[in-house]
Amino acid sequence: MSLGQAAAFGSAGSDMPGAVKPAVRTTGVRLAVRDLTMCYANGHTALRNLNLSVNGGEMVVVLGSNGSGKSTFMKCVVGLNRPTEGSVKVGGRDLAALSGEALREARLPLALISQNANLVKRRSVLANVCCGALGRHRTLMSAFGRLPRDEIEPAMSYLDEVGLLHLARQRAGTLSGGQAQRVAVARALAQRPDVLLADEPVASLDPEAADEVMRLLRRLATEDGLAVVCVLHQPELAARYADRLVGLRSGLLEFDRPASDVSSQQIAGLYLAEAS
Amino acid sequence: MSKVMEMRTPSGAPGARTVWYVLGAVVALALFVQAWIVVQARPQDLITGAHGMADIMSRAMPPAFDQFVPNLWPVLETIDLAIFGTVFGVLLAFPLSILAASNLTPALPLYYAARAVIGVTRAVPDLVWALLFVTAVGLGPFPGALALAVHSVGMLGRLFAEVIEDMDMGPVEALTLTGAGRVQVLAHAVVPGVLPSLLGIGLFRFDENLRSSLVLGFVGAGGIGFQLLTAMNLFQYQTVSFLLIATFVLVTCAERISAYLRKLFL
Repeated sequence: MSLGQAAAFGSAGSDMPGAVKPAVRTTGVRLAVRDLTMCYANGHTALRNLNLSVNGGEMVVVLGSNGSGKSTFMKCVVGLNRPTEGSVKVGGRDLAALSGEALREARLPLALISQNANLVKRRSVLANVCCGALGRHRTLMSAFGRLPRDEIEPAMSYLDEVGLLHLARQRAGTLSGGQAQRVAVARALAQRPDVLLADEPVASLDPEAADEVMRLLRRLATEDGLAVVCVLHQPELAARYADRLVGLRSGLLEFDRPASDVSSQQIAGLYLAEAS
Repeated sequence: MSKVMEMRTPSGAPGARTVWYVLGAVVALALFVQAWIVVQARPQDLITGAHGMADIMSRAMPPAFDQFVPNLWPVLETIDLAIFGTVFGVLLAFPLSILAASNLTPALPLYYAARAVIGVTRAVPDLVWALLFVTAVGLGPFPGALALAVHSVGMLGRLFAEVIEDMDMGPVEALTLTGAGRVQVLAHAVVPGVLPSLLGIGLFRFDENLRSSLVLGFVGAGGIGFQLLTAMNLFQYQTVSFLLIATFVLVTCAERISAYLRKLFL
């Protein structure tokens, strides 16, 4: 994002035109990150003492320039990276202290949507959504490629929720970028998560499709009570949909406050500081 | 020297690249000449001995089409050798290729072990495998089928592993993060992703195995190959020519069918 873009959207608050945030009804802490530090083997410190709590029903957007630590943060939260220090608690269990089968089980309430939808292109949309439930159905038949029968109906309802029920039988490879991303959201819902992480979910989408996906994430936080954490590069989208904005700069937490309290100068500062 | 020439000679020395070209051509020529000497090539013998070939060919005409019914069983045997070898080859090669794919292998020692098995089964020709199995289980189609299966494991294992290494790992990562187990990820993300390519390679292998099964007949593995050897030993050249026509029809049909199926899957 350019500095001009950052400054262009003016106030980041919910009072800006087009803001689509209803009153927040939070339901307790779902994700608690404490003193998270991540040093890579080459000595580079990507995150330093990061603290963040996200409640159910809340949508938090993480902003920051390239190299600010956003992706490392996401990887540490889902357990793809093991942090050097600190804890990541989901459902009372510390993911940072677990590995193997224990990590797999503890990660079940945590769903991730990536920049690419990562669907299995040769399978149907419905099959892709059902795959989100595999973690709860570790049966012999599912190991032979059979989909859990009792997950088909819920999967249809998740597809309905993302507005793609009519494409259930279509091959995933035939979908547009926006549709594929919505199927990825439905797959994440099939996991029945408490926390939904989205790593630049709209990066490769056109503005209309991006708006659709963001609206969907917002609705999942508000209506389904999910804790949604979303990494974005578009401050205008962040301001329109987020309850809270978190700014990262060089691995440090720059700000964490309600979107209405964050000024455009503060956001521009995230990118200015990185550039200089 | 012009600037263009300077750019074309990386070492900066005038015509250095030309020297390398000439040197390369000399080495290539030397390789070819030593091959000519080692294989004791005598093209003049081919010309002077052509009448011998012509004599055999004249004695092979017309083909003995009355041998059609007696050779139906050997034809079926040849096809079944290829089917057995391909099916067992695919069934054994697939799990091996998972272990031999650097992006999916569960442990490095397993990766090296799988690569070693693939290397050995591929390096030893199917003819040698057939001779080994003949000593174990005796003459007949079975040792030939085993030879084709073992050699196919090596050939298919390597190709399958390459397909798996080239696959998009996004769905694998996505399913792993949903909490799916390793086998579930294989069944729901890896297999659907690579299946069309694997089927294409498997069908191509069936083609190859059909041709190989003809040769294996020469070492006692049954099928058309064995009939061909017998007819040649008994100087029944008309039967030989019929069997060669039958082989041509069989291989062409198999090629067409597998090409059609490959197109269908891909």
